[in-house]
Amino acid sequence: MKQLPLLAAAFLLLAGCNPSPEETGKAAPGPSVAAAPAQPVSGLSSESVYQLPDTFQTQNRQPFLLPELAGKPTVLAMVFTNCGYACPRLTDDMKAIETKLAASAGQVNYALVSFDVARDTAEQLKRYATEKNLGNNWVLLHGSDEAVRTLSVLLNVPYEKTEDGNFSHANKIIVLDQNGVPRFHQEGLGTNPEATISQINALLR
Amino acid sequence: MENMKRFVWLILLLTASAGAFAQAGRAGAKPMHTVAKGVYEPFFRTAATLPVPVAAFRLDEYAVTNAEFIEFVKQNPAWRRSRVNRLFADKNYLLHWATDTTLAPANAPLLQAPVVSVSWFAAQAYAKWQGKRLPTVAEWELAGNGTPRHIRFHSLTDYILDWYKRPNPKVLPPVRSTYVNQYGLYDMHGLIWEWTFDFNSFVGSTDSRGNTTDEVQAFCAAGAVNVKDKTDYAGFMRYGYRGSLKGNFCIQNLGFRCAKSI
Repeated sequence: MKQLPLLAAAFLLLAGCNPSPEETGKAAPGPSVAAAPAQPVSGLSSESVYQLPDTFQTQNRQPFLLPELAGKPTVLAMVFTNCGYACPRLTDDMKAIETKLAASAGQVNYALVSFDVARDTAEQLKRYATEKNLGNNWVLLHGSDEAVRTLSVLLNVPYEKTEDGNFSHANKIIVLDQNGVPRFHQEGLGTNPEATISQINALLR
Repeated sequence: MENMKRFVWLILLLTASAGAFAQAGRAGAKPMHTVAKGVYEPFFRTAATLPVPVAAFRLDEYAVTNAEFIEFVKQNPAWRRSRVNRLFADKNYLLHWATDTTLAPANAPLLQAPVVSVSWFAAQAYAKWQGKRLPTVAEWELAGNGTPRHIRFHSLTDYILDWYKRPNPKVLPPVRSTYVNQYGLYDMHGLIWEWTFDFNSFVGSTDSRGNTTDEVQAFCAAGAVNVKDKTDYAGFMRYGYRGSLKGNFCIQNLGFRCAKSI
């Protein structure tokens, strides 16, 4: 019984000497850690790509975090607006999906993320959105080299900047669920969107 | 009370600046070498492919070791094996470690061996923590092509192919145990494979299994792909290897080293 206070004191000491790992992490020198959070962000599924912490910018010059897409299914493609061949068609394929889902207008997000960190400024993305007549459910994003590369790794969209300033890239339209977990991808150009549509409808049910 | 507050602020400030010094000290502790600007010839090329000029940059003398990575996970608990998110590192993450922050005593020699079984995301996070970054494919290939100072092979390609031929050693040798090249960089080939920032940049398919989509349709600007040098089998292997990776893969012969822009 006599030992109890001693034990308590020992515990206090231990507690004092062993800051929780989180605290140690915070006290760590140098740039505040990680390119990506290694643990699930609270509220998001551990497979959610919305855990990417980087801030993007929209065509309306607003800062944008990917979790802002949460709550609705999102149809996403990575493109660049100087692209002469594939990207306009990829955008058209996404518009075709939107048209087929007209009954669910406003319940689905459409997002384009640009590879072209240098040229696709907010202004350029705005111009593209106007040109392609992309409505209010569309968000066009540009971000840092690192943010775009990390997203491409998460979504398995390989791309490469070529020496003429353009990009060779995979043509994929990705369906993310309400939590940002990739559920389906449509590969290629002019692909029949039926499978994609039924995936989105399943998410909306 | 006011004094107390001021005191706390002072302590915080001191801790922060000490931290900054420690960081600078650590970053400076690992030798880096300058790779002079050069031209990188992509291994796979189409009619539109041009040689890529690469600006001079700095690269770690040797790969990040287990000892160095232990320090990282100690200070960044979110990257410990028991806590890491599967999205960012698969189940093989740091599989060769005994615990979250230690190697088994019998594995002590591994402390100075390159850390392997780390994902691209973990490598990115480590580099960022060091105030560095991962080298690009172009940078890595330029550095990797540096002329060896002393090797007993006819050419670098022969040396690399001899390495590919051998099975993974049971115990990974320490860093700086193979050859050094013209830039002062060790083990660019012969020890491990290394992550690059844009490892997912090869868009032609090396994987002929999935043949469901026409390649020209699946990839913008794919077209007819040719190789620069059909005898560069070693280069072909590296491109195939990178093309097969995903960002959360943790593989027992894949590690990394960090770069810095000049």
